[in-house]
Amino acid sequence: MPRRGAILHVFIGAGFLAGALSFASDLRPFIPSEPPTASEQNLAVVVNLSNPIENLSMAELRNLFLGERSHWPNGRRITLVMMEPGQPERAAVLGLICQMNESDFKNHFLRGLFTGEVFVSPKTLATPVGVRKFVFNVPGAIGYLRATDVDASVKVIRVDERLPEEKGYRLHIPPRPSK
Amino acid sequence: MKVSTLPPSRVLPALELTGWRVRRRILSLLLGSLATATILQAQQPKPGDVTALDKQTLQLLLQRIDQLESRVRQLEAERQPAAVVSPAPGPTQKSTPPVNEPEQQAESQAESAVPERMDLSKTLLRLRGFGDITLHGDTRKGNTTAFTLGQLNLFVTSDISEKFKFLSEIVFEGGPDNIYGVTRGEINTFSVDVERYLIQYSYNDYLNVAAGRFHTAIGYYNTAYHHSTWFQTTTARPFLFQFEDRGGILPVHTVGASAFGLIPSGRLGLHYVAEVGNGRASRSPLTQEPVQNVVDDQNHKAFNLALFARPEAIRGLQVGFSVYRDLLAPINSPRIGETILAAHAVFVRPRFEWLNEALVVRHAIFGTSQVFNTPGFYTQFSRQLGYYRPYFRYQYVNASGTEPVFPDVRLRQGPSVGLRYDASESVALKLQYDYTASRARAAKNALALQVGFTF
Repeated sequence: MPRRGAILHVFIGAGFLAGALSFASDLRPFIPSEPPTASEQNLAVVVNLSNPIENLSMAELRNLFLGERSHWPNGRRITLVMMEPGQPERAAVLGLICQMNESDFKNHFLRGLFTGEVFVSPKTLATPVGVRKFVFNVPGAIGYLRATDVDASVKVIRVDERLPEEKGYRLHIPPRPSK
Repeated sequence: MKVSTLPPSRVLPALELTGWRVRRRILSLLLGSLATATILQAQQPKPGDVTALDKQTLQLLLQRIDQLESRVRQLEAERQPAAVVSPAPGPTQKSTPPVNEPEQQAESQAESAVPERMDLSKTLLRLRGFGDITLHGDTRKGNTTAFTLGQLNLFVTSDISEKFKFLSEIVFEGGPDNIYGVTRGEINTFSVDVERYLIQYSYNDYLNVAAGRFHTAIGYYNTAYHHSTWFQTTTARPFLFQFEDRGGILPVHTVGASAFGLIPSGRLGLHYVAEVGNGRASRSPLTQEPVQNVVDDQNHKAFNLALFARPEAIRGLQVGFSVYRDLLAPINSPRIGETILAAHAVFVRPRFEWLNEALVVRHAIFGTSQVFNTPGFYTQFSRQLGYYRPYFRYQYVNASGTEPVFPDVRLRQGPSVGLRYDASESVALKLQYDYTASRARAAKNALALQVGFTF
């Protein structure tokens, strides 16, 4: 019996040690993003003009883009707008906000749908014009655009108290590939 | 018609001839014109402003025209018979900027999402399937190596309206059932179970209400993983969270109502779940379905309250506890008070998971001082390395041999090690070794090779 107990303790100890080591290695310190290079552009987070929201923290944005929030503070249902896979804007949102790759993002929503925790299914649109139109039309919509693609039909919100043109803004995307 | 005109050489002399009154009129007319022109010029904006205003207005008007045109097309399409698939574009459509198919679909979805109405011409169902096939064998006497068809799970959801959502899991699974050691049903025949059957109402992030059959929020695993091995890292659920008809000791399912949502707590990310339901069937020996889907064997209802936190500071961390309370009334036996206390601390990120859960099932027999405590825990971690995910799990449960509800369980403990390989986005291969030591039986070594998939 004492030998069996010792084996049990070894297994449990090994399990916790391995878990703790992996946990520690997965916790990376937060590194603030570098300012955009000359070829990079800023990514603007946009909402419908009627949405009273002015500012969102990165953590709140992450919750929104991962479908973990279903309603705006004014009671409107959140409609999430994503661009198609492969678009640099989408890659920037997945990397900088969701901190996931494409496959993880799909799995996250499938799992969320399965557990019933995710109430929001993202709408996927192909072009910035489509995103603008959708956000313009749907009061609870939130999406993203290159700052240069923004016009007066949508409202740009602050991220961590900063607008895209302000110093210290954290959402940058690589330049659009030339056709 | 004739019009008489004077030659130019005679105009001025003619004016001079009309005298000073005529001259004064002409002069006042010229002055008046000059003054009006000056006033009008002062009212007009600068040229730069004109361009900006015009651009903005034009853009807004063009957008509005686009919306109205697409709406008209949508209405026209709805009115036309089904045989007419693609009407010829009219002159107005030529002026519309090209919009691709997904956008049009999304826009029409957006438009139809605003008013809450049921479109009878479209189905609201979304269907996703899950399945698994396993080759397994072990060293226990009497057991054979076999290919096993796992649960074929049809996961059906429907966004009934902006606030209501339906969710169900229809599962086809091979028998027999094993309920606390009592085996029932045919060995190799399939039966159908509706494992989840749930309508949810979402008022806001703080209040969601659901009714139907659902997984009880005891601990973490039971609500994080349901009837699909593809989602799970390992080939099977931890013994503590096995389903009722597979020898599990917990009321994994219940039929009733629940409320869940966020608790305003800032960065702490507190959540609550409150459940009330029929609880598990308590007739003994169990020959019927352990989940009371239609009839409850008593008026007393089971309650469960769970609280957990997902702090913003450590993304992926969740810690929480739950308290479940029910009253069991076995035939020809005193009633049993059932309390299940569970606590968990898990850290889950796409590349890493570390799950730790512990619970105790407490059965107190009414009218006596007899109390049976069954403790159990498991720890599991895994790390994604490219397409591979090695994992390790250790699990333990220790029930008394005289436990009144599940006397067959006794002490079970042991490690599992395995490797998951994601062959594609939707297919996972898993190889797992289990060692299970048991008080009642000889230790068992088992090996399983599983393919789990979603479709």
